[in-house]
Amino acid sequence: MVNPEIALAIFFCSLAVLFLGHKLKIWSTLFSNREQARKALIEDVLKQLFHVEYSGRSAGLNDMAGALEIVDNKLVEIIESMTLGNLIESSRNIIQLTPAGRDYALKIIRVHRLWEKYLSEKTGIHKSEWHDRAELKEHTLTSEQAEELYQELGSPRYDPLGNPIPTESGELIYTNWKPLSSLNSGTRATILHIEDEPEVIYQRIITKNLHVGSQLRIIESSEHQIEFYCEGNVYKLSPIVASNINVKELKKEDSFEESHVRLTALNNGENANIVGISSECRGVNRRRLLDLGFIKGTPIKIEYPGPMKNPKAYLIKNTLIALRNDQAELILIEKE
Amino acid sequence: MSEDITKGCDTCLFYNSAQLKKLGVNVDNADHVVALAGNPNTGKSTVFNVLTGLKQHTGNWPGKTVTRAEGGYSYGDKQYKLIDLPGTYSLLSTSEDEEVARNFILFGQPDVTVIVVDASRLERNLNLVLQVLEITDRAVLCLNLMDEARRHGIEIDERTLSKDLGIPVVPTSARNNEGIPKLIQTIQDVASGKIICKPHRIKSLPKAISKAVDKLNTQIRNAYPDLPNSRWVAMRLLDGDQDVMRALTEGEFQSLEYSEQG
Amino acid sequence: MSKDKSKDILEKASSLRWEVGDNFHDKLTEGIYADAANISQRVEIKEGQGDYSFDRKLDRILTSRGFGFPIMFLILSVVLWLTIQGANYPSGMLATLLLENIHPLLKQGVASIGMIWWLDGFLIDGVYLALAWVIAVMLPPMAIFFPLFTLLEDFGYLPRVAFNMDSMFRKSGAHGKQALTMTMGWGCNAAGVVATRIIDSPRERLIAIITNNFSLCNGRWPTQILIATIFIGALVPSGWAGLTSTAAVIGIALLGVVLMFFSSWMLSRTVLKGEVSTFALELPPYRPPRFWKTIYTSLIDRTLIVLWRAMLFAAPAGAVIWLVSNIHVSDGSLANWSIEYLDGFGLLLGLNGVILLAYIVAIPANEIVIPTILMLTVANLNMMGLGAGEGVMFELDSSLETGNILKAGGWTLLTGVNLMLFSLLHNPCSTTIYTIYRETKSWKWTALASIMPLILGFVVTFLVAQFWRLLR
Ligand SMILES: Nc1nc2c(ncn2[C@@H]2O[C@H](COP(=O)(O)OP(=O)(O)OP(=O)(O)O)[C@@H](O)[C@H]2O)c(=O)[nH]1
Ligand SMILES: [Mg+2]
Repeated sequence: MVNPEIALAIFFCSLAVLFLGHKLKIWSTLFSNREQARKALIEDVLKQLFHVEYSGRSAGLNDMAGALEIVDNKLVEIIESMTLGNLIESSRNIIQLTPAGRDYALKIIRVHRLWEKYLSEKTGIHKSEWHDRAELKEHTLTSEQAEELYQELGSPRYDPLGNPIPTESGELIYTNWKPLSSLNSGTRATILHIEDEPEVIYQRIITKNLHVGSQLRIIESSEHQIEFYCEGNVYKLSPIVASNINVKELKKEDSFEESHVRLTALNNGENANIVGISSECRGVNRRRLLDLGFIKGTPIKIEYPGPMKNPKAYLIKNTLIALRNDQAELILIEKE
Repeated sequence: MSEDITKGCDTCLFYNSAQLKKLGVNVDNADHVVALAGNPNTGKSTVFNVLTGLKQHTGNWPGKTVTRAEGGYSYGDKQYKLIDLPGTYSLLSTSEDEEVARNFILFGQPDVTVIVVDASRLERNLNLVLQVLEITDRAVLCLNLMDEARRHGIEIDERTLSKDLGIPVVPTSARNNEGIPKLIQTIQDVASGKIICKPHRIKSLPKAISKAVDKLNTQIRNAYPDLPNSRWVAMRLLDGDQDVMRALTEGEFQSLEYSEQG
Repeated sequence: MSKDKSKDILEKASSLRWEVGDNFHDKLTEGIYADAANISQRVEIKEGQGDYSFDRKLDRILTSRGFGFPIMFLILSVVLWLTIQGANYPSGMLATLLLENIHPLLKQGVASIGMIWWLDGFLIDGVYLALAWVIAVMLPPMAIFFPLFTLLEDFGYLPRVAFNMDSMFRKSGAHGKQALTMTMGWGCNAAGVVATRIIDSPRERLIAIITNNFSLCNGRWPTQILIATIFIGALVPSGWAGLTSTAAVIGIALLGVVLMFFSSWMLSRTVLKGEVSTFALELPPYRPPRFWKTIYTSLIDRTLIVLWRAMLFAAPAGAVIWLVSNIHVSDGSLANWSIEYLDGFGLLLGLNGVILLAYIVAIPANEIVIPTILMLTVANLNMMGLGAGEGVMFELDSSLETGNILKAGGWTLLTGVNLMLFSLLHNPCSTTIYTIYRETKSWKWTALASIMPLILGFVVTFLVAQFWRLLR
């Protein structure tokens, strides 16, 4: 019989080797595709240029190198070949898209946003992963596939973060929003869009659980901090984070429902009426909630909080439905 | 709907039971196909077992049945093929667990659809009923779990319900064999055309929505004049239903039309 | 022509969709529910709000922070205890009847007709004995377990289990309804796999399918019970033996649950990455079950059907066992050779060659693992005085005698413990594998679901064996 010490030693060594091999990721780098990578880089340049132009600025070589995180000489080489291909034109230090380049860029953006929409509607993948996955997908999907996707998703106009999706012919809805950081104290607004770049700031916004479509009221806005009320909670954001959230100011005649809070704010023994489902709740999940009777105007209360307080069982239309808290977060109610 | 039928057949209960023959799985040459639709956990499989003599699993939780089952019975001189379907909350969703039921109700073209509902929770069950009534005009409402409803102090005015929905309503308590003879008789009457249903159509839609539905509906009716449920198809198309779109592009609608005429 | 019409319609739909915006579905559902509310208001005559006070009171206890989990554990224990204790006596009776009374009769009958010796051995000692064992060992526990389970199911308790346990499933990246499929798996894994259709997210459904094998199925309960009685019950004074061995079996079942959570967690972090999707579970009202009818139907429908399936698989397996023990290659039977070959690996896992061979032979049906082990042990030791002949399965009258044979075959407490572990952690039976393929339509997932528990079983038994020896 094998000595137990030796047997155990061999076992744990091979375990360690397996683990290290996985961590070092040697294979994935060995098998990457040069051609594909080059195409992706060209498309990234186009996209970056488009975003810069869309926001009304102009881009030089240095800005591009910084934004795309690549070394200068490689960028210069790419820019030269793109100029030859009539996708961009450069005069002095400014790079601009040609009409053909703009069309190309719009196509890529269309695929990107459609794919994010797809991920949000048809898969359970978390929103923090949408952007990276779409970055990969945008370089591989053909226009026909994109068209199919567009039909399948029911001709959407906006991606899940509130960005308009370019039409097939390259038209883009004009967005009339401004950053949350620019609002004055007391202003009321609706969140229209959440910017997903840069990544670090987007992750901060995600942890705050703010949703596109929510109404908010600025309590206090200063250079150091923006404090606002939204769906029953008070949030405090630094201006740099707040500037990545775009809103539309409510007009005088628009109603602002201060009393609309999230279902998670409901306490045991309280009665409430449902006022809607957040637009953050999409696809199959939204439909399932609607089918179960989570409809505007329906009375609801907590029947059993459950042993772990998550999920909780709610009484709605004379039926007990158990929901997890992250779903309850997406249902808006008005307490009685 | 003829009056003597809605009144039910209380006196001929024995007579009716004697006419029923459970056929188990022998349903090779059925005259009529009858589907059992309904929300989860309303007693569809129990009704199925009572009628066919088969032993579909039943259990007090939503989602017990996950595959469709077939069985048969004969009544009078007709043979019926009965389909037990998994429960579904709605035909509007795209979730995979409800696919089997949804597809059969939409594309299986049963001769009669029996909608089994929980009498003690009518409102939420009506959601599905109203959707089914947009699709078919040969349906029977089986108001099941009547004993439960009574136990919890709930009563239903069946005649008003039947009038509002435009289809016959049969109160049953399937587990205790109550109301089954009348259910069988009613299915026969609907299948043979003795009862003509005038199903309720969804009314409370906002202006913009119903306008869009009507516009599309008109166009579909022009293209396929014999399609029985063009309004439903219009709604599904506006909702972006992939299955219906595919059916449209692949020309399945012609076959639907054809079988309606034939 | 009609292609054009279809295309026109689709285009029109697309443009109208643009006009009405994203909330068509919301508005439609709201409209339908508004109609539904109108109608139900007209026809519903309620006395009060409908009286559910009994349900509510009961649920407050069954889902409470303090009692929810203890009651679940208690119910599981009571069901298992009733099954184990209750099955003891009828099992023994059936064994006596089928093996000691009928088997010799059959032998005599055949001898008097003068059948060829190997056909007699093949049919009666192979096929008949395998069937007899399956009936004797499986029928009584199933006839107790299934009715009890069905009563709970009809009453409406299962959704409460799912409700209570959901937070753990959420943390391991799985769907709360997996609690339901897991409990179905305690009856039969193939049934549990089919039941996963109630989970609407494909990712979480796959997790539920792959981990269903960690629910001890009825084919494996008897192995657990027997080995626990022989090796664990014997550790304590005889008055406590029954309770201790029940506790050991419950321990294994709970270990299965823990490993199910663990592997769900692993899967959702590696090959089945993705966000936990939503969970909306309806808790139905309690419905008093119809006691006798439920017992009758669950006996007839479930027990007999599962038993029939087991017999279908056991018969050929019995034949194979008889064959491998009676086909000789040079100076040993096929069985001797394979046992010798597997012994080294078996010992490394704290098992032995006999056990591994038994599990290979028993892939079609887990139920026959124990008789195969006994038969192979005896054949290998050539303890002819005890068994009836090479390749003949048999049931010994008491677990004490069974224990003596096993101990003569070199079994220790470690072998017993590791057999219980390995019985929990090995590949699913062939029916379940086929069902997994049918449900997933993918060889990849089927292979993963079959191999993952086996590897886990190897690792766990290996570690237990090595640490056991190290610490002793
Ligand atoms: N009290 C009472 N219980 C009933 C009656 N009909 C069915 N049940 C019980 O209700 C539960 C659900 O019945 P099923 O027939 O399984 O329901 P189903 O509609 O097939 O459910 P799914 O397959 O999950 O959609 C079972 O426990 C039945 O015993 C009835 O008329 N009265
Ligand atoms: Mg059913």
